[in-house]
Amino acid sequence: MSSASARRSRFRLRAHATADCCNSLLATCALAAVTTLALGPGPAHADVEFKFGGQVSSDLRFRMNGQEVPVYGQDAIFPSQQRLLKYGFSRNENRIKTQLGLSIGTRVKAVADMDFVFYGYSDLKDLDATLYRERVDPWYIEADAAYLDVYRILPHLDLRIGRQIVSWGSADKFSPTNNLNTLDLSDPLLFGRALANQMVRLDWNPISDLIITAVWVPVFRPARLPRTAPLALSEFNRPAPVQDDLQRNTLGFLAAANPPKQLNVYTMQPEPSIENSQVGVRISGRALNIDMALSYYYGRWGIPTPAWAILKPDGLVEVGVVWPRMQVLGFDFAGTIDKLGGMGWWIEGGVFFPQQITYGVYDALAPGQWDPVTFERDKVTNRYESYKLGYPEHERGVVIPSTPFVKLTAGVDYSFNKYLYGNFQYVYGFIDEFGAGRSAFARPGAAIGDPARTEARIGHYLVAGADLKLFNAQLLLRFFGAFKVPPVGDMDPHFTAVLFPQIVWAVWDATELSVGSFVFLGPRDSKFGDPAAGATELFLKAKFTY
Amino acid sequence: MRIRLLLIAASLIPASLARADIAPPPSLAKAVVPSGPEVLARLDKAINAFKDAVWESKLRIKEPGGQWRELAFTTYQKVPGKRLVRFTGGENKGMNVLVESADTVYVYLPEFKKVRRMGTHVKNQNFGGSDFSSEDMSQTSYSNAFDAKLVGEDATTYILELSAKSGQEREFAKLKMWVGKEHSQATRIEYMDASGKKLKTEERVEYKKDSPEHWQPTRITVTDHRKSDHMSEIVFLTSKIDSGLPDDLFTVRSLQR
Repeated sequence: MSSASARRSRFRLRAHATADCCNSLLATCALAAVTTLALGPGPAHADVEFKFGGQVSSDLRFRMNGQEVPVYGQDAIFPSQQRLLKYGFSRNENRIKTQLGLSIGTRVKAVADMDFVFYGYSDLKDLDATLYRERVDPWYIEADAAYLDVYRILPHLDLRIGRQIVSWGSADKFSPTNNLNTLDLSDPLLFGRALANQMVRLDWNPISDLIITAVWVPVFRPARLPRTAPLALSEFNRPAPVQDDLQRNTLGFLAAANPPKQLNVYTMQPEPSIENSQVGVRISGRALNIDMALSYYYGRWGIPTPAWAILKPDGLVEVGVVWPRMQVLGFDFAGTIDKLGGMGWWIEGGVFFPQQITYGVYDALAPGQWDPVTFERDKVTNRYESYKLGYPEHERGVVIPSTPFVKLTAGVDYSFNKYLYGNFQYVYGFIDEFGAGRSAFARPGAAIGDPARTEARIGHYLVAGADLKLFNAQLLLRFFGAFKVPPVGDMDPHFTAVLFPQIVWAVWDATELSVGSFVFLGPRDSKFGDPAAGATELFLKAKFTY
Repeated sequence: MRIRLLLIAASLIPASLARADIAPPPSLAKAVVPSGPEVLARLDKAINAFKDAVWESKLRIKEPGGQWRELAFTTYQKVPGKRLVRFTGGENKGMNVLVESADTVYVYLPEFKKVRRMGTHVKNQNFGGSDFSSEDMSQTSYSNAFDAKLVGEDATTYILELSAKSGQEREFAKLKMWVGKEHSQATRIEYMDASGKKLKTEERVEYKKDSPEHWQPTRITVTDHRKSDHMSEIVFLTSKIDSGLPDDLFTVRSLQR
């Protein structure tokens, strides 16, 4: 960016906090009005600072050897041209990010961060659609921020109200305590990006290192899932999502006897009631030059889980999904090890207390029939021995047990010299993993009802990466990878990993070009080999920051 | 995983590059030839002779084609040694770096809306891909790191040879420094290895008084002879001295505001 344009992008004004400011800066009228109202009478004179910036970016990806979504013959949801082919363009996105910030004095700031995103795919389900620009060239808007800050509303107390992202934790990306915002999982390259939500946040900072943060999220916002996620439910040979082997095999047997032909998935979103609000509290500080924090979260897990299924005539299966409640007690520590050349380190963990989710299965195969499928334990062995069709209900299968479980991330990073940077993390519990017990995968080529391969839901991972900077950091060679470590005693371990190599070229001021790939490795009954997780992509990106 | 954002860290610290000075009385300067340590002590005093300061700067890096790549930032500093750097232009725009002490550095990553504690290993990196190392950027005192010897003098300048004190692990073992008599600030520094081979040259030019007791270079240029004389420079656009920056500006909480 030239110095002239840098200056143009940032205005600093000395002015009355009046509408005159708005008149002269049409683009910020709304922000200014909000801020002025919030100030009320306010001081007669105040420093008004307006900041404007953003990005223009382009993201083109080509998918390789993936599973089609939706399957051949079915319509894509939106836009109609946006299909995941075995080989094809999986992303053709252009994004215009606009960031506005308006501060009045040192007490009030309003921030807006909007993205205009063009899909790059048309939505033409009929000829009439070709008449409309928004169908020929669909787009959507994202807002990462639209909030108002009031600083020192009481002594040492700051207030932030509005759409925002609150990031907690010390770990890189894999933060067990970072649960206030659910994740946008639509882009595997980002390992989950926080999805902004409307919140009320208070920060009390009585002394320099001690910060107590309280957050209230009135309405829960579910995670955005990857476009391959429907495969997890819509492939008919997938095992039933219950924990007990006998129950799973029994439900598989029932499915094999009445093969499903169509699967409809219904969502049971949390109602916008006060009971469904989320809250979080975090206390952070520093002692012995170690950053430390304790946190508590009450809310829900952002990724839905199956909770019921109804078997209907003609192979129709209706499945309902819910977002489980959870509480999380978390901690995180971070520091630096001087004796190891200033190596950075962090440890972050959370104990999750999930709501138990059971699997209500109903047999409605015959007209007028509505029989629950439940299970009965043997009184001697305390194991499930048989299933019961009809009333009275016995025990339902358990999808998410109420057993508390732990997620943990520990990592280090180090700059070896001016050129090479390394980052290593041990992750217990990937970003999408939730619940004690085991996950079940359909083995390759499995028929409906065949025995499943299972593995612990919460897995062990090694995540490592390195940056090599060349030519005065104009060229960056980056390699990251995540490898799932089979647990000790796993009788059927599968190698599975993701690799993320890329080359980033800072071609000019604030301008980046990057090429690379995101590679999924592993058989289809493994974490990253599962087609629902995604498929290998090659990408070409360009970004200009202004 | 925007680890690249971490590279800047240690940073951005034009602290020693824009400092005040109290010029020695001309009569005394003429009457007594100071020793090397005395000249260096004056320089240290000069570069720390303020309570707080704000500099708006731009870093320019010369590309192989002769064009300049730019990165803009504002530095807030409060003696002793607290710094807050806000990137205002370039690819890292929006990133903030808080240096509480040599061992405690925090970075606000706007992409993740998150504050991250940095290991001090980031000192091993250079500043924004430029020829400025974090070490020479963050130098706030030379006397505690170097032994000084006066090796020359003319009408306007003292010439010092600095050798790293024993036990000091430094990228450059020796420095040759030209110190202006008018402002007791360095006007040229040659960085050398232990054998005396010149590796890098830094020039601090166009000193201006920005307050009754402050001198500030307008431009600092560094040439790295190890990289075919590759050049970078910092241009100071504005400065504000002793404006009464509040203490809570230099807190982790402030990074998130």
